[in-house]
Amino acid sequence: MLVCLLSLAVMAGDGFSEREFNQLHAELQPEKDAPWRSIPWKISLLEAQAVAAREGKPIFIWAMDGHPLGCT
Amino acid sequence: MTSALAKHRPVKVPAIKQGKSDPRYNPEPPRDGFVVRVTSKVLGGYPQTEDPWKRIFQESIGRDNLWVRADETKALIGDQFPESLMSRIVRYHLVDNTRGEPPLWDRGEVRRIDVEFENGVLRASVDLKTKDGLRGYRADLRGHVATKNGRVTRFDLVSKGEFLGRGRYTGNAPKGWFPFAVAFSLADGSDVADRIPPQGSRGWVAGYLK
Repeated sequence: MLVCLLSLAVMAGDGFSEREFNQLHAELQPEKDAPWRSIPWKISLLEAQAVAAREGKPIFIWAMDGHPLGCT
Repeated sequence: MTSALAKHRPVKVPAIKQGKSDPRYNPEPPRDGFVVRVTSKVLGGYPQTEDPWKRIFQESIGRDNLWVRADETKALIGDQFPESLMSRIVRYHLVDNTRGEPPLWDRGEVRRIDVEFENGVLRASVDLKTKDGLRGYRADLRGHVATKNGRVTRFDLVSKGEFLGRGRYTGNAPKGWFPFAVAFSLADGSDVADRIPPQGSRGWVAGYLK
């Protein structure tokens, strides 16, 4: 693998403008008000069980194999 | 779910006492490092569809977290962009994870990385391709890193380019080269997902952090 530190004259990565950078960065943020985000998820089963025990609520488990952030 | 909840009659149960967790299965982000949220999106190239399920995948945003080591944090504060961090970004995070879990990039698949970093501004370009030529990504990166009082306070990056191909679990990619972008933003810990280890660290955190 080559990692080259080039002089500014070469201008690597100048393929898009600052304006496009800002637009894309905003476009790629996940929706803040997506319905699933309103659920107070826990990523630890024990943390969830502690809350359920305290509040007398059942636990809803969403599980799949693979990375937890995959397919979201 | 509503009817099941209506039938629920709570019983008193004690909280299960948490024992010592096995760090192999519960890795923590590097001490004195930081976490970056990574999101990705296919920007075009799909055929039009009326199928709502297909549309979900076509419009989805892929998510992951990038972990940055303490020594890399120190380097950024000193206005250096460490080679190890750029390599991790490229190999584990410039991937199309919008339709499922993607293949990552082997070292030999990284054909070229050019980097400039000055006064907190990053400009870079990359060329990635598998040996068989069936999967690739050529892109430009642009970004801003800011620090204050010995801490990284901004880490905003965008990679924009053309992606080719799919992985075993990321089928139905657009045909040929298609526009694809990845964005990076400093995580503030306010999202429970900030605590999830990076996909590329699964089973080998030390290898991911190399």
